[in-house]
Amino acid sequence: MLPSPREEELFLRQMVAFAGQLRAAGVEVGTAELLDCLQALQHLSLARRDHFKGALGATLAKSARNREIFDLLFERFFDPLQAREQQTKRLEQQEKLIKQLEEAGEALQFKGEPLQLSDDEKIWYASLPEEGKAGLQRFLKATEEGKKVEASFRPLLETVVRGQLRYWRSRADAPAGEGGAGSKLGAPGLRHLDLKDIREADLPAVEELIARLARQVSSQLVRRQRRLSGAGAVDFRRTLRHNLQFGGCLFKIKYRRKQPRRQQLLFLGDVSASMSRYSTMILQFIYGLQTSVKNLELFVFSDNLEHLTPRLRQGGDPGQIVEQLVRRSKTWGGGTNIASALSTLAGEYASLLNMRTTIIVVSDTRTVTLARALEALDRVKTRVKRILWLNPLPFSEWSCYASVKAFAQRVEMWPCHTLAQLEKIVAGRLLQKNVSGKEVGNEQAYCPGR
Amino acid sequence: MELTMEQLRRGFARVGYICEENTVLTVYLALVLQKPLLVEGAPGVGKTELGKALAQVLNTELIRLQCYEGLDETKALYEWNYQRQLLRLQIDRSAEVEVAEEDLFSPRYLLERPLLKAIRSDKRPVLLIDEVDKCDPEFEAFLFEVLSDFQVSIPEIGTVTARTVPAVVLTSNSERELSDGLKRRCLYLYLDFPPPEEEIKIIKAKVPGVEERLAWEIARVVEYLRRQEQLRKKPSIAETLDWARALVALKHRSLDGGLVDNTLNLLLKRRQDQLYFRREIGPRGLDKVLRQGRAGGDAGAP
Repeated sequence: MLPSPREEELFLRQMVAFAGQLRAAGVEVGTAELLDCLQALQHLSLARRDHFKGALGATLAKSARNREIFDLLFERFFDPLQAREQQTKRLEQQEKLIKQLEEAGEALQFKGEPLQLSDDEKIWYASLPEEGKAGLQRFLKATEEGKKVEASFRPLLETVVRGQLRYWRSRADAPAGEGGAGSKLGAPGLRHLDLKDIREADLPAVEELIARLARQVSSQLVRRQRRLSGAGAVDFRRTLRHNLQFGGCLFKIKYRRKQPRRQQLLFLGDVSASMSRYSTMILQFIYGLQTSVKNLELFVFSDNLEHLTPRLRQGGDPGQIVEQLVRRSKTWGGGTNIASALSTLAGEYASLLNMRTTIIVVSDTRTVTLARALEALDRVKTRVKRILWLNPLPFSEWSCYASVKAFAQRVEMWPCHTLAQLEKIVAGRLLQKNVSGKEVGNEQAYCPGR
Repeated sequence: MELTMEQLRRGFARVGYICEENTVLTVYLALVLQKPLLVEGAPGVGKTELGKALAQVLNTELIRLQCYEGLDETKALYEWNYQRQLLRLQIDRSAEVEVAEEDLFSPRYLLERPLLKAIRSDKRPVLLIDEVDKCDPEFEAFLFEVLSDFQVSIPEIGTVTARTVPAVVLTSNSERELSDGLKRRCLYLYLDFPPPEEEIKIIKAKVPGVEERLAWEIARVVEYLRRQEQLRKKPSIAETLDWARALVALKHRSLDGGLVDNTLNLLLKRRQDQLYFRREIGPRGLDKVLRQGRAGGDAGAP
């Protein structure tokens, strides 16, 4: 039976609404795609759900990332029953969460007053195994009953409890064995996740993703270098010699190829306690660019500078090596002293600083002796081509820190706390001479003179 | 006569291209809508093979354009045969004959490259544009102009319009993001590694003499290895088939961990991956996987 005009219109409206939802989720669906989709549906029977979904997928979602978003939205949009089930599940989860918060609030008390813990910490407590909960209870009770226990103990006690919770959480996050329940966000999810929020269970997938992104960016850099180094002037000597075979008729012109000047890339990663996760991952990514950037030197710093490159030359899996090196590094997890790190760089590694050198710094700029750090930066800046500063703090928080403002006035600074941002910055910025404030994930860079 | 989806499905099965329903559907839509088909997926999942199989199903010529960095119009579309033109000039000069310019720039002196060849074909050909992500963005822009109108302008001759719209299959390994313009003109298909039951069918179709039990065990081991996220280069379908052929040639009728270990070079082609396998899984680990599969009654388990 043919559908009535009313049914047809309803169907059309539904398709337009679905396209709207895809657009809202970041999938680029234009009118042309929608028309293709409707045309495709005319060749199929709508009775088969898999055909309907296949036709929509082929015409509306044209990348692997978009396909994942499409799959999620399709189920939600065209299967209200499932959507209702999901909503019920969400409500149940919310109720469970509220219960957990209440339970933790009652259990974690000191002298009748609840401890000042974040909601996340309370939820960790609620999900502890019984032995963990009992251990914490015993500790709180023993402290309360101890001699000369004053109210001023409270902050100390809260710090200890937080430490315990973190310990239990890290155990729960340890890589799951075969069949274990690891978090599976998938590559698109991981690309946009703040690096500090990536769970241990996702690390292998993240390493794989970093290696893949590095390969992609690397090939883009090589391509661009070749294009920039393009054909030069006519090489008369080779042209004449080559065309002798055609009786001297200039049949094929030979050109000189410009030799690209090798650029030196120097990476400085802050591995102080708050920054180590960002630096380790960004360092792995930069290390993966080796094929396109030949002169690559890697350093990490917290209270002083350490040169990693010599150890990396021993070979092996780069991901694991970088991880191990950063953990073994003498400076790992200390406080941050940018002044000391930059002074050591300018003094002991002066030969690496020249007008072909680009320095990439990964740091949130929080350092001791800010004034000295700025002076050291000014000195290094005059000796290199450019300094690119990747700041893992969200752009919205930059104005809260005087150090961010001070550094951003001197160098080109970009917000960088996800792999997607990192990929965009490195691919777009590394070979560019003049930088304007283009967008990186809806955020802008502070650039000198803007 | 227009091909139906059922005929296409049977055609793929006849030429030994085993695929999922979604692949058949998308190829069918690309054919009826006369749109290029962009196929993405990991290396070795059968993207190029899809183009070849389609040419066999349609019983038509396969015209292949392999993309690479630096590919330009002269290598993809057409070029004048300068040597031949030069020879003609010299011959005519020695015979003291005046040459008309239009004689020199006639189809006789035109070197057809794949795109022009596809456009000038009398019977609808399959144009396979392989690894389109490897070409430069400038060439990609040129390509989507050709693919939208199926006509090209040759200044000395005029506009050449396609006699029949070719069935175009573009493949990409996602080495770089393709432009929105190109994607807009194409239908999209993402090919993933096949589930074990499909892979068993592929092995049986492509490797003569393979026994049911061996095919199942190969598919099970390969699927297990592909699930290992730490492996950087996962075994492709082509590698699976090479491995199966090698095992048949060695007259093996079933697999065990030791045999996998001895023939690992055919399956894992990165030293780091082989070390990972020997360190974390090993022959015993694989024996366990095979036992579990049999006990769990996996699809096709002997």
